[in-house]
Amino acid sequence: MEVSVIGSSQVKTELAYRELGFCNLKGGKAVISSKNRVCVGRSTGWRKSGIRFTLRATAAIQSEQLRSDSVSGRSTRSKSRDNVRLFVGLPLDTISDCNAVNHARAIAAGLKALKLLGVEGVELPVWWGIVEKEAMGKYEWSGYLALAEMVQNAGLKLHVSLCFHASKQHKLSLPEWVSRIGESEPSIFFTDRAGRQYKECLSLAVDDLPVLDGKTPVQVYREFCESFKSSFSSFMGSTITGISMGLGPDGELRYPSHQRLVKSNKITGPGEFQCYDKNMLSILKHHAEATGNPLWGLGGPHDASTYNESPNSNNFFRDHGGSWESPYADFFLSWYSNQLISHGERLLSLASSTFSETAITVYGKVPLMHSWYKTRSHPSELTAGYYNTTTRDGYEAVTEMFASNSCKLMLPGMDLSDEHQPHESLSSPELLLAQIRTACRKHGVEVSGQNSSATGAPGGFEQIKKNLVGDNVVDLFSYQRMGAYFFSPEHFPSFTKFVRSLNQSELHSDDLPEEKEEAADSLRVSSDSVVCMQEA
Amino acid sequence: MSTVSIGTLQHHSLRENPQYSPKSKAFKPCSLNCSPQTKFFFHSRRFCNFRAPKHSHVVVKAASAAETAVVQTFESAELFFKETFPLKRTETSVKRERNEVHKKLKIVEGKIFVRLDQVKNSQIWQLTVGCNLPGKWILHWGVSYVGDVGSEWDQPPTEMRPPGSIPIKDYAIETPMKKSSSSGGDGFYEAKIDLSPNSAIAAINFVLKDDETGAWYQHRGRDFKVPLVDYVQDDAPDSNIAGAKRGFSIWSGAFGPLSSLILRGEASTTTGPDNSTNSRDPKQESRSLERFYDEQPIAKQVSVDNSVTVSVRKCPETAKNHLHVETDLPGDVVIHWGVCLDGAKKWEIPAAPYPPETIAFKDKALRTRLQPKDGGDGCWGSFTVEEGLEGFLFVLKLNENTWLNCMGNDFYIPLSSSSLSARSTQSLSGGTQIPEKDSKENQEGSISKYTSGIIKEIRNLVGDISSEKSQKTKSKEAQESILQEIEKLAAEAYSIFRSSIPTFTEEAVVEAEKQISPVKICSGTGTGFEILCQGFNWESHKSGRWYMEIKEKAAELSSIGFTVIWLPPPTESISPEGYMPRDLYNLNSRYGNIDQLKEVVKKFHEVGIKVLGDAVLNHRCAHYKNQNGVWNIYGGRLNWDDRAVVADDPHFQGRGNKSSGDNFHAAPNIDHSQEFVRKDLKEWLCWLREEIGYDGWRLDFVRGFWGGYVKDYIDATEPSFAVGEYWDSLSYTYGEMDHNQDAHRQRIIDWINATNGTAGAFDVTTKGILHAALERCEYWRLSDSKGKPPGVVGWWPSRAVTFIENHDTGSTQGHWRFPGGKEMQGYAYILTHPGTPTVFHDHIFSHYRPEIEALISIRNRNKIHCRSTIKITKAERDVYAAIIDEKVAVKIGPGHYEPPSGQQKWSSAYEGKDYKVWESS
Repeated sequence: MEVSVIGSSQVKTELAYRELGFCNLKGGKAVISSKNRVCVGRSTGWRKSGIRFTLRATAAIQSEQLRSDSVSGRSTRSKSRDNVRLFVGLPLDTISDCNAVNHARAIAAGLKALKLLGVEGVELPVWWGIVEKEAMGKYEWSGYLALAEMVQNAGLKLHVSLCFHASKQHKLSLPEWVSRIGESEPSIFFTDRAGRQYKECLSLAVDDLPVLDGKTPVQVYREFCESFKSSFSSFMGSTITGISMGLGPDGELRYPSHQRLVKSNKITGPGEFQCYDKNMLSILKHHAEATGNPLWGLGGPHDASTYNESPNSNNFFRDHGGSWESPYADFFLSWYSNQLISHGERLLSLASSTFSETAITVYGKVPLMHSWYKTRSHPSELTAGYYNTTTRDGYEAVTEMFASNSCKLMLPGMDLSDEHQPHESLSSPELLLAQIRTACRKHGVEVSGQNSSATGAPGGFEQIKKNLVGDNVVDLFSYQRMGAYFFSPEHFPSFTKFVRSLNQSELHSDDLPEEKEEAADSLRVSSDSVVCMQEA
Repeated sequence: MSTVSIGTLQHHSLRENPQYSPKSKAFKPCSLNCSPQTKFFFHSRRFCNFRAPKHSHVVVKAASAAETAVVQTFESAELFFKETFPLKRTETSVKRERNEVHKKLKIVEGKIFVRLDQVKNSQIWQLTVGCNLPGKWILHWGVSYVGDVGSEWDQPPTEMRPPGSIPIKDYAIETPMKKSSSSGGDGFYEAKIDLSPNSAIAAINFVLKDDETGAWYQHRGRDFKVPLVDYVQDDAPDSNIAGAKRGFSIWSGAFGPLSSLILRGEASTTTGPDNSTNSRDPKQESRSLERFYDEQPIAKQVSVDNSVTVSVRKCPETAKNHLHVETDLPGDVVIHWGVCLDGAKKWEIPAAPYPPETIAFKDKALRTRLQPKDGGDGCWGSFTVEEGLEGFLFVLKLNENTWLNCMGNDFYIPLSSSSLSARSTQSLSGGTQIPEKDSKENQEGSISKYTSGIIKEIRNLVGDISSEKSQKTKSKEAQESILQEIEKLAAEAYSIFRSSIPTFTEEAVVEAEKQISPVKICSGTGTGFEILCQGFNWESHKSGRWYMEIKEKAAELSSIGFTVIWLPPPTESISPEGYMPRDLYNLNSRYGNIDQLKEVVKKFHEVGIKVLGDAVLNHRCAHYKNQNGVWNIYGGRLNWDDRAVVADDPHFQGRGNKSSGDNFHAAPNIDHSQEFVRKDLKEWLCWLREEIGYDGWRLDFVRGFWGGYVKDYIDATEPSFAVGEYWDSLSYTYGEMDHNQDAHRQRIIDWINATNGTAGAFDVTTKGILHAALERCEYWRLSDSKGKPPGVVGWWPSRAVTFIENHDTGSTQGHWRFPGGKEMQGYAYILTHPGTPTVFHDHIFSHYRPEIEALISIRNRNKIHCRSTIKITKAERDVYAAIIDEKVAVKIGPGHYEPPSGQQKWSSAYEGKDYKVWESS
């Protein structure tokens, strides 16, 4: 009776406050405190005498309640405006060869730490070589499913990177059956002028050739994606929010122009063109014949420098008078880069059509070939398949292709700053990044970021921040990558600092709903004690 | 000093012997050390939970004294031993944070009341807060003014403050609650606050504090709040009468069961002289000053002292021993007992017959329910055991989770005369409770449970804090604690990721390259090749010229191969050893004066040895007493007042914040959360660096404050090496040390992590495990479940500062002495293993010196450093062996071992008793 009346009236007032709190967000703190008073005044107004002092009490509580509301409001707002969705990459070997979760305990602890830190989610590399290891069409998702559940339980989001490549460095290989095919048919791999194969991913020239036991790689990739979609259907859109489609070496849309690993402290040469496998050469030949220059279709530029030679040591990339400015070079470079873009188009359209009815965004990764950017010919980009020189913008076509497939573009190297690049490499990660971002803006492609250096580039965090704030709108940032170094005392504290500096509001905004519960709890108590008074 | 509280301890050595031999007097003060509750540990604070060999000494004396007194016979049997042990317990287990010490306390119920009424014949109203439980109650209160936003407190105007009140900072008042005269027999404690009706005070906020226990009583973790609602009654006909313009009413919204206490089922009883209809009439209410009375149940935890008495009689006919165990513990008590045949205290089941209600437990022990005593609380049991047994062991079990033992060890009753005169290392006195541990507990499960528990706590904390957003300091604390938890989780993840075999070949290459480049020097590790010497012992102050004496040895120490020396604390100190510092800027100590100190530091620098200063930052002795006669006011250059002292040690009445760590009870603990304290300490440390030339720090008792502050100090002083003393007890089950000491080393790792890795820590875990391994010939203990070293050195070698003895554990204190005669096995371990080894002064200058020198030269010759790799090749009962950096092989223990004869050829490098070292050639 009396009791229930009072109880419900409190709930009502509380709701009213909440609405107020939310519609008034713009004003920030000052408004809120003044609103506080307004509310108190109102409540007395509403409740004409009667149980006046009871309401007073309620108001007192609610003024506290309001403040927490206002905070949550503030953080929501800032989130949409300048908070970046931050993801952290899980270890590359998160799932072992035999589909077990490696270091499950460490990952569990790591996930909790990240959640507390306010990180949005984690990025998980899903390896073709692990899931479809034994035979075509025989998928084994159990390890990844277990991990997705761990991520879900930790209350984090999951960004999946579908890796159709291998990584010798990290002892991750292509599916066994693919490698077997490759042994008898090495032309499925990219090949350089000297005939060396790059066995960490399939050549883009075989995309539509039935080289894999009668199926084309694109078919195999599509079936893989379909299997992934159905196996993870319960996570789609809720836990899994995005997918990066593997497009080539290291998942990036490029040629493996540096077949072998480059020691990080050495200056990277311009790399080599990778158009010497049987199928590439035949495409080139057809193309040359079709354009009326059959002699141009016999191979790549003969005067390009080799992997770690300086670009100026040979004729092709030379800054002035280099043959890269010749009509032949234009023919070749256009073809070479168009092949790459078509490949990207094939895979991204595959992915976006496969995942079109899910609430998942598809991403593709474009490399940041920043070495030699300050030369006129941009040799590193040319060999990687980006026909981008001082006289031609090679990223327009790429971003257009991304736009037509409604895919977002993932850009690595956001931790790299010009000042820390070796001077002799004439490199400029910052300028290249700016160029690609301009192209993206032009075609309405949203940019996501990654860092490149596994062991922390000098000044990396400052650089990342620079790349995330201000006009540099970034959809998400995927920080690479969890592991021993990540949690080491040399690194983790600065990462923590970085995250906190990104989200200046609250440590853990996802806890806010619980806050409300807690506040509601205190309300309940107060009404109880009001009850006592009324009885007395 | 230390003898004052004997009476309260209820520890008696009852011997039915009228002669009180002078020897037995020695028993008393020693036995006092056994209770962790007492406060008089002066310099001996560190051993609270360790076995103190001194006791053994006492036992021998007491027992042998008893032996001489066997003339008397009782009931045809002679009583030759009787001992009463105090037992501490409570009805509920109160879990202290991260400490796993469970205390048994009894709940005393009572009530808190709040009353508002009018003082007769006056305009003055009076708020009374009272409590009917005995205690040293203090009302900690403040006011909110009209128009205040937020929940910060203000100090009330002086006229409101009852006599005897002490201002706390600038926002609160502490008023001691006085025993009420009015309430008759049932002792009420109350404080009265006069309220002037026309003041602008909107509410009175308070919490209660029991100064005896240091406990705070709040409401659901928040303050009690008594709003005095003021509203102008414009329509009141008599509005021109000043006094009636304002009305008082009470809001009891903040009341409810007191959450810091045990929740009680009963609803709170609220009584008001005005009946409920009254409150519906606004006019009447607003005009009349409403009386109010509210009561809240309260429960206070009081520790209960029980005891168990064991008497032993020898039956002259059968030569059997009759034991009589009697206790005043209420309820069912099961005694879990066994006997031991030799000094190793291994539990054995004695021969039958057993008392009624006895069952065997896992072939190791017997369980007997004690018989209830006739008429009265308590129970007893009688046991007959054969002659020729060494001793009788037992623990008491109250219920599934509550065990009572003797200071972490089993109760041990010596039986044979030989055992009585034998040197027993068992402490006989004191009783504490340990939680039962399931040794086979699934480790993984418990960890994840542990971490998810933490998360839950944090969430609660976040929720709690954010609803009090305006209390900025609190939310800052909360953020800090969340960050700490994040760090803990990160540390856990780090240790696992790191311990797994590196699968990244490239990384290994990078690592190798790194080592070629000049090693990065950081304060946590030094160069990585450091070998420490502890350059003093507990007696070093005696000569008054230690600096000069150690200076003479500088060249010698350098030639042995030491790179760092740790000198004693340099400041003026209440205790001669220097660990009770007072005036931090006065560097004239019992070790020498400031000039001599500078001289010795200079000398060490000349011979290429870095010098660590022993910085005692946790506590500082005061110069003056405050108005209550408590020592907490400082003089000297750092003339702090009680704001520099933590608030949660009632003995020093600090006005700072609560301690961020454990309290050291012999001196006021410094509140490092205070900006000015940290600023002063940083300045002092920097001064020591510049003025004296110290290169780094050995930080005393760092359990006492948060590691994050240490990071602050280290960042400010940029030492080339720093090591902290984080010493707490290892885990034991039934007096036997657990194989898995991960929790122990994790606590140390946590601390190092809190310092952000800027300081190393003494590897107490390794020392403890070495004790067990060497003492009991259980060398298998030297490998953990993952085949890594079981101490801190197995998890974070670069931050582990290994040692086997120091001035507290050994020297003339001997709080936790390394197994005698086995020191060289210990050094063979730490001097060949990763981590940064420390050699104790007393061992260098003893007959061990040639062996230590040989081991150090092997270490240096093979460039073993703090991050060297280690592969344990054998960990069996009687032998342990490992290969370090694939260059040095070492075995310790009497068993046989030869390094594998593969591609590598091993040649013997040095050999001593039960250890051997090889080098790869």
